[in-house]
Amino acid sequence: MSRTPVSLPQQHQFNPYSENGGTILAIAGANFSVIAGDTRQSEGYNIQTRYAPKVFRLTDKAVLATNGFAADGNMFVKKVRQRLEWYRHAHARDMSLHAIARLIQTMLYQRRFFPYYVYNILGGIEDDGSGAVYSFDPVGSYERETCRAAGAASSLVQPFLDNQIYFKNQTAPPGSAHPTHLPLAHVLSLVIDSFTSATERHIEVGDGLEMYVVLAKGSPLQGLDTIHGVTELTNIPGGERMFVIRRSLKRD
Amino acid sequence: MSIMDYNGGSVIAMVGKDCVAIASDLRLGNQALGVSSNFQKIFPVTDRIYLGLPGLATDVITLQVYSTKERFRFRVNMYTIKEEREIEPETFAHLVSSTLYEHRFGPYFCEPVMAGLSKTPSGGLKPFIAATDLIGCLNFAKDFVVAGTASEKLFGVAEGLWEPDLEPEDLFETISQTIMNAVDRDAYSGWGCIVHVITKDKVITRTLKGRMD
Amino acid sequence: MDHFPTNWGRPRNDAVDLYNTFPIHQRPSNVPKDAFSAGIQHTQQPIVTGTSVLAIKFKDGVMMAADNLASYGSLARFRNIQRLCPVGEHTVLGAGGDMGDFQYIQAILDELIIDEFAAGDGHTLGPKEVHNYLSELMYARRSKMNPLWNALLVGGFKDGERFLAFVDLLGTTYSASTLATGYGAHIAQPLLRSAVEGREDTLTEDEARKILEESMRVLFYRDARSLDQYQIATITAKGVDISESRKLETAWSFAEGIRGYGAQTQ
Repeated sequence: MSRTPVSLPQQHQFNPYSENGGTILAIAGANFSVIAGDTRQSEGYNIQTRYAPKVFRLTDKAVLATNGFAADGNMFVKKVRQRLEWYRHAHARDMSLHAIARLIQTMLYQRRFFPYYVYNILGGIEDDGSGAVYSFDPVGSYERETCRAAGAASSLVQPFLDNQIYFKNQTAPPGSAHPTHLPLAHVLSLVIDSFTSATERHIEVGDGLEMYVVLAKGSPLQGLDTIHGVTELTNIPGGERMFVIRRSLKRD
Repeated sequence: MSIMDYNGGSVIAMVGKDCVAIASDLRLGNQALGVSSNFQKIFPVTDRIYLGLPGLATDVITLQVYSTKERFRFRVNMYTIKEEREIEPETFAHLVSSTLYEHRFGPYFCEPVMAGLSKTPSGGLKPFIAATDLIGCLNFAKDFVVAGTASEKLFGVAEGLWEPDLEPEDLFETISQTIMNAVDRDAYSGWGCIVHVITKDKVITRTLKGRMD
Repeated sequence: MDHFPTNWGRPRNDAVDLYNTFPIHQRPSNVPKDAFSAGIQHTQQPIVTGTSVLAIKFKDGVMMAADNLASYGSLARFRNIQRLCPVGEHTVLGAGGDMGDFQYIQAILDELIIDEFAAGDGHTLGPKEVHNYLSELMYARRSKMNPLWNALLVGGFKDGERFLAFVDLLGTTYSASTLATGYGAHIAQPLLRSAVEGREDTLTEDEARKILEESMRVLFYRDARSLDQYQIATITAKGVDISESRKLETAWSFAEGIRGYGAQTQ
């Protein structure tokens, strides 16, 4: 059966998405996790603001970084936080990290046919006290990793991380092996280097850097107390500790 | 998909202390299908100048190999005969640039990368690198230049690893790590790499084994 | 942000209405029509539009400016409309984009403020609450593919705190010490940033007014969809003050010397 073509007035479709630049990055250590993002928000060649956070604290041990379409990102974080609050009311405790990861995948996939245009990276401390990073695509595919970069400069940062975190293309001296986890101070300097490099070569990255550090229960400060620009955010003493380190990046 | 990405491939050049390095991957592809793991993209121009040509493979061959009309080899030979001396890297860069710009509205789909040592008035040698886009817009960088399908990745890694005044062996390690890790994140580049380090008395050429996926 | 409200929420494309002569009306079509298409009407393009809104933070609060023009494509259709409106006791809303949608938003907010007043709980909505409400409204409408075609600035002062933020038809939000919508994002924002950034806590009301007036003048010189009549809103601890319409002083004698842009005899 042939259909008569139905004519609609020729019109330009409304595009409900935009891209707001920026880059995020997370690295898991043995007993800590670092989740970082720059603070520039842009559209095309316009810088909308030099300070729009993309890294959000969810619980005492979970931090979520979002990147892509800022309106979707903010709304998504709002909805995740709402679900976590409901969970607290129902179970009288915070949701564990792997459960938050699965929750995020479900929430993203629910919008499979009108996706949140957002790349998410979740970092924090797992129930066993290990540092963990989960990365997601916009429709909910996810996996646990040691490190991940996403956003505008992900293609600049990720291969650098392959080399410096996973020691790809490097052979260990005979009789020794590469470490599986790096110390916190080393990780922080790699994060700063990554964002400085990305700022240098990508116009959508810059202005400010926010690095969240989550320390597992009872683990030492590992030099965090001496680093400049650090603020402690820990709520309950004796549990996981959380810090944020703010640095400036080039504004051009 | 851009015609520049049809065959894949990437090149990078870096400046060191009294030396320069240039490196490329060895892949030739037909879009996603790998065809050759030994496709030359870097060519010696003189003893002290190397030229990397990532881009559309047919144009890589046309520009470099064929010695008729305006192609690079022919023009360098003509220069050598007329001037009765070897071409300097700066001059060669402008030769490349003007050759490409002659085809401004029907370009060769290549982005040349050049590395060499140029003579100074005092008789010494000075590192020189340059790159152009496909219509010959020159970029004389002081640190490194990149081109090809993995260029973004090369920029990211090089910006993180490179430092000034690297000795030849350190420069070799830096450029090797840069290209290997960059092409491993690029589906259109890889299948092994080749690195040339040009110093005042020799050129060190090494082929690197890489991932074959 | 894009100067032309018509382009908001659309892929960047210079081929469509390069000179912003919208609205371009559809010609009647005689082929069979989808019988249900008229059932729901979504805003597909703005019709009567306002241009830039500017806002800065200063020592005692927030100051905003917008001209009094509502354009119909390239026609200066309404030359005495208000694009700055008070919302409650602590907030001013400034709008660019579709003026019909803006007045609809005003109606919604008026009702919201009345409902809050009727609650009689001693609470009033501040700029933060108004901005958050608007961001949810704008995001919800864009998610229904039926946006309110505006770029909005929300400025206010409550509980000793300044507030200034942006929200647009996509639900995109952000905050900074200087903000500008439309053409102002290109032309006025750099001027505002160099005049205000780092001086938010020392700028006086007079200085702030001067900065905005100068920016409005530059906009009037260069933005063909702007007007030399504008209003300034000042929001401080004392509350909201929206000025009477005022006129920009401009000089055009230099135009005599310009050659090469159009009809000239020599």
